[in-house]
Amino acid sequence: MELTRRDAVTALTAAGITTTAGCAGLTGETGSDAEPMEVLVSLADVLYPSDIEPTPEFIETFMYGRITDEESYREELTAGIETLNQLAADEQGGAFHTLSADQRRSVIENTDLRTGPSEPDGSDVARVNYYLLDELLFAFYSSPTGGELIGNTNPRGFPGGFGYSPSLEQ
Amino acid sequence: MSTNESTTTTDRTPVDEPDVCVIGAGPAGALLSHSLAKRGHDVVILEAGPRFDKESRVDRMKLQIHPDREVNEIWDMGGERDEYTNSSERPLPLNKRRVKGVGGTSLHWGSVTPRFRPRDFEMQTRHGVGKDWPISYEDIRPYYAQAEQEIGVAGPDDAPHQPPREEDYPMDQLPRSYSDKLFAKAGEALDIDVQQEPMAINDGTYDRNQCQGYGTCEHVCPSGAKYSADIHVDKAEEEGATVLTEVPVQRLEHGPDGEEVTAAVYETPDGTTHRQEADTFVAAAGAYETPRLLLLSESDQYPNGLANSSGTLGKYFMDHGGGFVIGLLPDEETHVSEYGPVVSGGVFQFYDEEEPTGGINIMLVNVPEPSVAEVAIGSNKIGDALLDQVELQYGNTLGMSIVTEMLPREDNTITLDESKTDDRGNPVPDVDISDGQYVKDATEKAVSESTALIEEIGGNVVFSQGTHTPDADYIEDTKGGYHPMGGTRMGEDPSESVVDSTLKTHDLDNLYISGGGVFVTGGGSNPTLTIMALSLKAADHIHEELRS
Ligand SMILES: Cc1cc2nc3c(=O)[nH]c(=O)nc-3n(C[C@H](O)[C@H](O)[C@H](O)COP(=O)(O)OP(=O)(O)OC[C@H]3O[C@@H](n4cnc5c(N)ncnc54)[C@H](O)[C@@H]3O)c2cc1C
Ligand code: SF4
Repeated sequence: MELTRRDAVTALTAAGITTTAGCAGLTGETGSDAEPMEVLVSLADVLYPSDIEPTPEFIETFMYGRITDEESYREELTAGIETLNQLAADEQGGAFHTLSADQRRSVIENTDLRTGPSEPDGSDVARVNYYLLDELLFAFYSSPTGGELIGNTNPRGFPGGFGYSPSLEQ
Repeated sequence: MSTNESTTTTDRTPVDEPDVCVIGAGPAGALLSHSLAKRGHDVVILEAGPRFDKESRVDRMKLQIHPDREVNEIWDMGGERDEYTNSSERPLPLNKRRVKGVGGTSLHWGSVTPRFRPRDFEMQTRHGVGKDWPISYEDIRPYYAQAEQEIGVAGPDDAPHQPPREEDYPMDQLPRSYSDKLFAKAGEALDIDVQQEPMAINDGTYDRNQCQGYGTCEHVCPSGAKYSADIHVDKAEEEGATVLTEVPVQRLEHGPDGEEVTAAVYETPDGTTHRQEADTFVAAAGAYETPRLLLLSESDQYPNGLANSSGTLGKYFMDHGGGFVIGLLPDEETHVSEYGPVVSGGVFQFYDEEEPTGGINIMLVNVPEPSVAEVAIGSNKIGDALLDQVELQYGNTLGMSIVTEMLPREDNTITLDESKTDDRGNPVPDVDISDGQYVKDATEKAVSESTALIEEIGGNVVFSQGTHTPDADYIEDTKGGYHPMGGTRMGEDPSESVVDSTLKTHDLDNLYISGGGVFVTGGGSNPTLTIMALSLKAADHIHEELRS
């Protein structure tokens, strides 16, 4: 299942936020930005269930449609990707996005990614957990597509409207 | 997290000769300020906290959903500014219970807005407990209607267990959630009436975003559909009021004869001290901070604190008792967290019982378990294994959050802890409160009726207050502190109370108190609609006084 831009964009627009228009995306505009997008997609690919195919559109909207502290978030993102690549190089001898899915999984499993603390102002790895992994998980598990996999199309954190309530017979 | 204003460049000098100075920009200060400003009075609001950037609410919501972030982080609570002492036997996480900033704790609240009932104003006469208020339900009734209209309440016009009302709610009741329906069906079998709770959530009728179903109303509504008092602060400003933020008031000064307050002394972020003069002052700093401010305002003439000639300042402090009951419905989807607002249904049938007499409001919650994203982030797994775990943990719970009545007791107090100071060098508030048998009886009754409802549906109760307390942040409600009331209570007799029935202090001719602190008894209804109604009533008195 391909994750659509809609999954990400609805959350932002419904909150009264005009999204990525005018905001330099990760892909396209600058050549050097192409790599971060690949890193994020390759990270989402192992974080999300195997049936799910994360697209640059989904990630761009979520990560770059962020409405506050955009500049500082961008810095965290850049720093986080650097840390991730460093861990990947130490563990598997290459930049994160160049590794196979199995290799990427083992980078996560053999380091403090996921298992270690997740802090907005903690260690390098703690910040990767907070700004990259948790953001990607939030994006997915509070999107309709993520919710749908477990039977909830309007998960908390997603503005899918109010009052959804099937009848008892259902 | 970012706020609107630059701390260094904003003008925080006093306003020239205002009619009214209001201390605190929560519900108790906001509605009153707007009511006065729109009638042409010159109002200045002094607020200790910042004005939060509305755009930051999505990120604040993410803090709420993040398993490693604490509730106090959502609205930047805590630190030296918010130091306090808890001398109670039970934990009281005060910095998860009071928000400082434009909108006050209503930024954080659940927006459940029932009225008090006629009996709440006469518990001594009717049941021989507590004390009667100096006003009756009939006195406050028009102000309830006005408050509901102002903030926008979606409520049940024809539900059975409600205090008398003349007019319909401004919005239709919220629709029943799936779990409300399950509870209603079980209620039919048990003769328990399940009805909709009055909720201050916009269904599109009011001129602000309508509810979009984030399901995070408590502790932050990203869309602004949930009423919060910043709305009336904005409206007051549109009517000409001035709001100074990050200016905690340090003390109130009085004139040589001790009959009038002359100035509110506040500090700016850079430590500069200013004096705000005004004709009338309203202390609306919340029920934790208002008694503290009056105690800090001691003088040679009033060595025990301002407005304290009765000696009752800080006494008869109350909270609501309550708890959580959570059930698991094996093999059945309960559609939790799909509906939106965290509460929509409730049970009021046991509010007016003969035994126990303590008021009871059972709120049926639509989010009795952590959000899907929270479970996902909190796990160590990835990929399909993560999905399996999330799936396993999601979707079979039911639950209720309970509000029960605590009696006012002289020895439940807010005092100053002289041994500890805040960032401005002022002694911090010291809260000392214990429950008492009365509230325990009401809670026990509520827990047992809640358990019966869950079991009738076919569920197993997996958590009920204080019994199997799991280590889960999202059910920390049992620690209380949500509904502070009393401490500056209302009464006719100046030797037994702090304010009169107009909320004016007995001791000072131009000082009013607005907030839960003036409550004489606590009822079983969430307090804020009553706080708002009383503040609108006080505004009318102040208006009359300023006119004459
Ligand atoms: C998690 C939670 C959920 C809740 N849910 C509900 C609910 O569903 N229904 C309900 O009825 N109630 C609810 N409440 C209670 C509700 O939030 C309070 O009753 C209400 O906010 C009280 O209004 P207030 O204006 O008196 O005080 P507050 O809202 O606390 O506002 C006081 C303001 O005064 C300011 N202040 C304090 N000291 C000073 C000073 N020295 N100088 C200047 N300013 C100062 C503070 O910064 C603050 O902004 C809830 C509370 C919590 C914590
Ligand atoms: S469910 Fe509605 S009221 Fe609650 S947070 Fe979402 S938009 Fe706001």
